[in-house]
Amino acid sequence: MQVRSQVSMVFHLDKCIGCHTCSVACKNVWTDRKGAEYMWWNNVETKPGTGYPTKWEDQDKYQGGWKSNGNGKLDIRSTSKTKIVPNIFHNPHMPSLDDYYEPWTYDYQNLFNAPEGPDQPTAEPISMIDGEKIDVQAGPNWDDDLGGSPIYAENDPNLEGLTEQQRLQLSSVERLVFFYLPRICNHCLNPCCVASCPSGALYKRGEDGIVLIDQQKCRAWRSCVAACPYKKTYFNWFTGKSEKCILCFPRLETGQAPACFHSCVGRIRYLGVLLYDAEKLEEIAKLPDDELVEGQRSMILDPHDPAVIAEAKRNGIPDGVIESAQDSPVYRFVMDWKIALPPHIEYRTLPMLFYVPPMSPVQASKPEDTITHNSENLFHDIDDSRVPMKFLANLFGAGHEGVVRYALAKQKAVRWHRRAETVGDIDRETADRMLREADCTREEADEIYKLTSLCTFEDRFVIPPMHREQAIEMMKEPHEHREEAGFGFVGGPRRGL
Amino acid sequence: MTDQERSTDSFHSYLTPTARLFSDCTRLRLLIYCWLPPVLMALLPSEAWAQDTPDYYRQNCMNCHTIGGGKLTGPDLKNVSERKDAEWLIRFMQNPKAVVDSGDPYAAKLVEESRGVVMPVAPGMSRYRAEQILKLIEEESKLEESQFRGMQISNKPFAEADRFAGHELFVGRRRLENGGTACIACHSMYDIAALGGGRLGPDLTLVYERLQGRNSLAAWLMAPATETMQPIFKDHPLTGDEIHSLTAYFAASAQHRESDASVSRITFLLLGLAIAAAIIFAFDAIWKGRFSGVRSPLVETVNAKQHRTEEAHAEQQQPPSRSELLGVSDQSPPRGDS
Repeated sequence: MQVRSQVSMVFHLDKCIGCHTCSVACKNVWTDRKGAEYMWWNNVETKPGTGYPTKWEDQDKYQGGWKSNGNGKLDIRSTSKTKIVPNIFHNPHMPSLDDYYEPWTYDYQNLFNAPEGPDQPTAEPISMIDGEKIDVQAGPNWDDDLGGSPIYAENDPNLEGLTEQQRLQLSSVERLVFFYLPRICNHCLNPCCVASCPSGALYKRGEDGIVLIDQQKCRAWRSCVAACPYKKTYFNWFTGKSEKCILCFPRLETGQAPACFHSCVGRIRYLGVLLYDAEKLEEIAKLPDDELVEGQRSMILDPHDPAVIAEAKRNGIPDGVIESAQDSPVYRFVMDWKIALPPHIEYRTLPMLFYVPPMSPVQASKPEDTITHNSENLFHDIDDSRVPMKFLANLFGAGHEGVVRYALAKQKAVRWHRRAETVGDIDRETADRMLREADCTREEADEIYKLTSLCTFEDRFVIPPMHREQAIEMMKEPHEHREEAGFGFVGGPRRGL
Repeated sequence: MTDQERSTDSFHSYLTPTARLFSDCTRLRLLIYCWLPPVLMALLPSEAWAQDTPDYYRQNCMNCHTIGGGKLTGPDLKNVSERKDAEWLIRFMQNPKAVVDSGDPYAAKLVEESRGVVMPVAPGMSRYRAEQILKLIEEESKLEESQFRGMQISNKPFAEADRFAGHELFVGRRRLENGGTACIACHSMYDIAALGGGRLGPDLTLVYERLQGRNSLAAWLMAPATETMQPIFKDHPLTGDEIHSLTAYFAASAQHRESDASVSRITFLLLGLAIAAAIIFAFDAIWKGRFSGVRSPLVETVNAKQHRTEEAHAEQQQPPSRSELLGVSDQSPPRGDS
């Protein structure tokens, strides 16, 4: 056993209201810089939709992630020692600026400086790249709330495997449905971006598993951009270095939740430590698709197990981190309750950001003049939900519905249970039967309810002590480090060597 | 430890040990360095240069001059100091062209005898060098058999096999025994196809004539003296057999007078252009999808499809409603408006 700690996350999609506050918080803190205008380290997508960059989930186009090569090894799809030479001038799988969007602002000066005329002056959009006027064709959330559906929503790669009828249902008015998918870097256990970098600029921090890009070492190969299947590394065209979500490590190190977590209006975000067994990593990453979700769970260790604690201590994990892991809300969602699932685990990067799949209303139809529902149990019949099970399975279960159905059934049972408790229009027996069917107890249901609905700041964010001083001590004299660190860039990222 | 102490301490730790020695014994240092340079100057030349004069001669002079071995490209240098005074010889060695150009009759005669070849200046030639060489020639002239009498090259007649072997060596199909570079790397020849040989050195088709035959050519090959060739062949000399084969090959090639470098130069240029163009087209073909992203093709195909269906519906007058496809009767608005 090789115990390591990882700061992990859960996003509760059932609570997301799609307000983009997280994206704006992140933009203001980190990417409001020249060359980073188009980057959204945190973005919120509407599903069904093609997301940002467009169709990032379509790995036939972008060739992100890992692929089992048949003889028991994993290969990076986008690059390899042989592929790097023929693609040295142009990497064909890189998203272009048009696939993200050309960032723009508005010509506000015109509102003040325009000459007198018969019409009100307008602020026309101007490109933030060349300063010229542009005709805005796309944006980072262009398909927000199903905008432009015939193009974007209907080409969601997760619709694969759905029947023609199911597809049509998704876009017919009285059955229309969508939900939000906020995305940040997953800080994967088997990060493809790290593996692909020819300069060795990317690394996964030992003490907390945060994946970072060394701005001094980056040589603008952009292999990480092509390799990351979630398209969460971005190339800064001004500094000539790649950048990505840093999980606000300077905030974490001072005990604060990352900016997007902190600002989340719907309180959908949870953060906590997971202990995992790094020895199993390779074996798990090679499992067949349908075993990956369970496989990843089998890597995550019980922080209350004395054997795990002893091994963690032997591996230099501080007591504070182990205690924090014992309180981790992420562990409860992922391991105790098993209702949080990794996104697209079939890319085999083993993401450490988990999503609680969203509930959705049941299907409706309009046989005569009134709209009726196919099911009596409005909001509760998961197999008749408007979002087809297959769609969620493509997103969170590598195409297999079992784990998704389990997670949804449990959420449904919790609702019935709480309804029996508080509203009383459902009899106890039915609620208990629901709980039994969903592999849940009353106590567990109450806990899920509590952490979902009544969670405080401290419940949601259990931030481990980072012990940066120990990490710094290994590299440098702490006094020297103190003199060199400070506000602003100490030698900011620059083009060239 | 007080702050004051810490700061002095850290100042000392920044100095290297040598620097600390400097700051401590400035006077001693001055004493040492004052007398060191003259001593070094006195020691170095006599010690080091006296040894390498024969080597220098071997590398730079021997390919055109013998001492008691007869005339090659340049005259036999045995007893040269009896023919001309030392001052003239030193001046000539340092800059032969200037002496020839000055209209010196003896120098003009030398040039005539060597059929127009003006002696090149040996690399690193200085007055001191010239004096040392003169001294060496004088000493060697007194000997019965000088070490610089010249290599004894076999006089056996050239066979067809020799010429063939020479060609093989020239183009590098057979490696030079001591690891030297094949001639083709820098030289070309009348019978080398399309791309020709290298362009750094001259065309060697007529070299046999230029260097006046077998002896001088062989002597040259023994120790090539130009600045480019010398460092290459200094440590990788040609063997006697190789020289014999190459001389045979050059002798044969000199029969073909139609050495025309310009033809192969044009083919070289055209071929280069063709290959460059081929590479560019190949790159273009390999990355032909390089300007197409994901989003805009998606938008274009969807729009085109919609346009087609709209046209089709306009023809049919009666578009199949979405509800028909769904199997329920509903009146949903057309796609795109939702």
